[in-house]
This record gives sequence, C-alpha cells and structure tokens, in this order.
Amino acid sequence: MPVKWVLYWQPNQGSTVSTQILNEAAQCAESINGVKEGRWKATLNYYKPMLRDQSNHPDLPRDFLGISLADQPSKYYFIIRSQRIVVEADASIQLIMEKLQSYKSKVSLYFDGFQYQLGDFRLRVGRVVPVHSESIRGIVMEVEYLPISSVEKARKVMEEFVEIWHEALSKRSLSGKFVNTELNFGEFGLGDHYTPQHTGVQYAIVMAHMIATVQPVVRG
Amino acid sequence: MECVVQGIIETQHVEALEILLQGLCGVQRERLRVHELTLKSVPNLGVVSSEVRLLCDLDQQPEPTWTVKHVGGAMRGAGADQISVMVRTMIESKVSKNALRMFYSLGYKLDHELLKVGFAFHFQRNAHISVSVSSVNKMPKIHAIDEAVPVTPGMQIVVVTAPATPENYSEVAAAVSSFCEFLAPLVHLSKPFISTGVVPTAAAAAASLMSDGGGTTL
Repeated sequence: MPVKWVLYWQPNQGSTVSTQILNEAAQCAESINGVKEGRWKATLNYYKPMLRDQSNHPDLPRDFLGISLADQPSKYYFIIRSQRIVVEADASIQLIMEKLQSYKSKVSLYFDGFQYQLGDFRLRVGRVVPVHSESIRGIVMEVEYLPISSVEKARKVMEEFVEIWHEALSKRSLSGKFVNTELNFGEFGLGDHYTPQHTGVQYAIVMAHMIATVQPVVRG
Repeated sequence: MECVVQGIIETQHVEALEILLQGLCGVQRERLRVHELTLKSVPNLGVVSSEVRLLCDLDQQPEPTWTVKHVGGAMRGAGADQISVMVRTMIESKVSKNALRMFYSLGYKLDHELLKVGFAFHFQRNAHISVSVSSVNKMPKIHAIDEAVPVTPGMQIVVVTAPATPENYSEVAAAVSSFCEFLAPLVHLSKPFISTGVVPTAAAAAASLMSDGGGTTL
C-alpha cells in the first residue's frame, strides 16, 4: 500500500478554521495541476465506557476511538493512543461493540472532501465536521505517494512535496498552515511497510493535536 | 445469526466419524487447532456484564489469525421449541493480533481459555455447513497451550454450525437437521446445553465404517 501522510490545518493564533480555507486548499491543488477525481469520506467515533455506577470509575482509556477509512470500506480500525494500540478489524466489529454495550460512541465526526491526482501523488483535502452538523471543526489533508510502500524510503519525496505545497499555499495568504505530525510507528507495533493501520494511527494523533490546538469554530 | 447443534463422541470412534464425514461432505478435511479465550467485562463496566470470545487459529500460515466472536441469546418461544437446532445471534470479525491487548485495556479480563484440537469440514448442502470434531483442552497455566490437557479424556465434541439470517433460518435449520441424521449412527446432535450422551450403538457403526475401508457410498 502506498505511503500516506495525514496533515491537519493549524490556524495561526487568534484565527479560526473555516470553509474558505478548505476552498483555498482545493483551488491550490488545482493550481498545481491536480486533477479532481471525486469525493472521499471517512468517519471517526470516540467511544466512552458505560458505567453502571458513575461514582466507581475503573481505570479505563479516555482516548478509545474507531475509524472507518475511505480506502477500506469493509474494515474498521480501533486506536487507543495512550496505550499505543491499533487494531484492524472487519466492519462487523462495530455490531459486536453495540452488542457488548460496554462502550458507546459519544462523538462522531466525518472527514469529507475532494481527491486529486498530481502525478505520482494523490491528495485528499477534507473538512472535519461532527455528524448531524455543518460546523467545520478542522481541515485534514492526506498526501499519498503511490510508487512507494516503505515509510522511510518515501520520507524525502514526501517532505519535498509538502514543501512545494506550502509554497503554493503561501501565495494565498491564509492565516495558518498544514502540519505533519512526526510519529513513531514502531511504538504502535507497526513496521516500515505502510498499511491502513498506519493511517488510523495518524488520524488518531491528528485528532488529538486538532483538539488541543484548534479553537472552537465559527459556522461556515 | 447461526444454527448450531452439538454432541459428544468417544475418541475411539472419531476415526470412523471422519470417514463418514469425508464421504458425506465431499471436501478435504481441515486441521483445527484453535485457542479460544473468553473475556468478561470488569465489574461496573457496561449496561450489563458482557462476554466476548477471541479465537486464535494456530494453524494459519505464516502466523496465527485472530477472530472476535460474540454469541448472543438463543431464539425462544414456541417457534424455537419446534426447531431441533439452536438458532442464536452470532457476530464474528477478523481482527489483527493486538485485539487481546486492546480488550484487556478496555476493561475485559480473561475468564477462561481452551484449546480445541481436531478437524473440520466446511461444505455446501442447502446451507453453508461446518462440522468440527475436536478434543477440548484446558491449560494448567495461563496461555500455556503446549501444556494443555483434555478436559474430558476419551471424549470429543462434535459441533455443526451454519450461518443464517432472520429470513432464512428455517431453511438453514432444516438443512442442518437433515444432515445430522446421517451422523446419527455415531453421534447424537442436539441443541447445546441439552446433553444426550453418546450413541450406545456407536461401536457397531464405527466397526462397520472402519471394516469397509472407508469406501461406503452414502
């Protein structure tokens, strides 16, 4: 599977994320000869433990999330970032979780937007919105380098692409930038050969950073 | 959802049963070596206490594969009583090898574990039917599969299952029931938790199958 980086939009201090930035990013992709290929969508669920006695709180993770990726419609990925755990499962695992009734999905988010082909790169730019809401909470960007599956081998060419992207986007005078989170896949038991589990982990890290650094949004 | 029946057979008759199944199923048998871990939620976790099974297929190459399984309650009522097989909810999902660690982190503890060793046949006969014949083994120490010993020496368990849906479970149940009649000379199959013991004439049936060299056409 090709190596993918997942970046997120980090607004400058005092700025907010908005649909305008998403539109600018999309136009930027087209301006560097990106060919629009269609839409993409992913879904992320934050799970919370269900406790019979609220006063008695066993030591349970607060960062348990599940994600359904656009590239893997029959699969589902669980990540517990604090424990460095990532699990790939069939999509039917969601039914099992419902039957167990030990954890419930309390917050669900969609990632959706457009996909572009740029030579050997595939770019996806998308907004982050809560389910049943149109309020944009963030913007993510996936950069995929199709010829290479090795995380290390792809690093240099990915860095160069991101540099070109930053340069192209800087001409639009937006107050913020796309940020790549450096993470050690090895801590999650993942190797150099890229897999959808690597993508799941990146989304978990990106969401953690987004929650910590992005200000609450204005509509639109 | 699945239809399921099970029964017990003396180990000495398993070879005869295998010959019978080979003739009936028309497929190659598959080795079965599954480490089954049953996990239960810690106190206070969940609306109700919950249980989940993790199955590790030790015979897969290049490395063992894992499945998570949730078995639900059996269908009840007059309709269920009239069906000779158990119909129950069952959901499975393949998972990557970290699943056990994940469930431990989520507040699930190991309740018990078993090692099932034997063989299975998977075939199509008006339904997708699976028959497994295995010894059930317990471990003296946690996860010590190499030291597993039979729970009931001299006896093995036969399980027949077939996936079903709310729309077709009657037909699937009939297919399973019909198939089980062929096994009646050697093993009596019934709903789980309703024990009927071994077949008293199994020895004679086994002798007949074995002396025939396995060439009996059924």
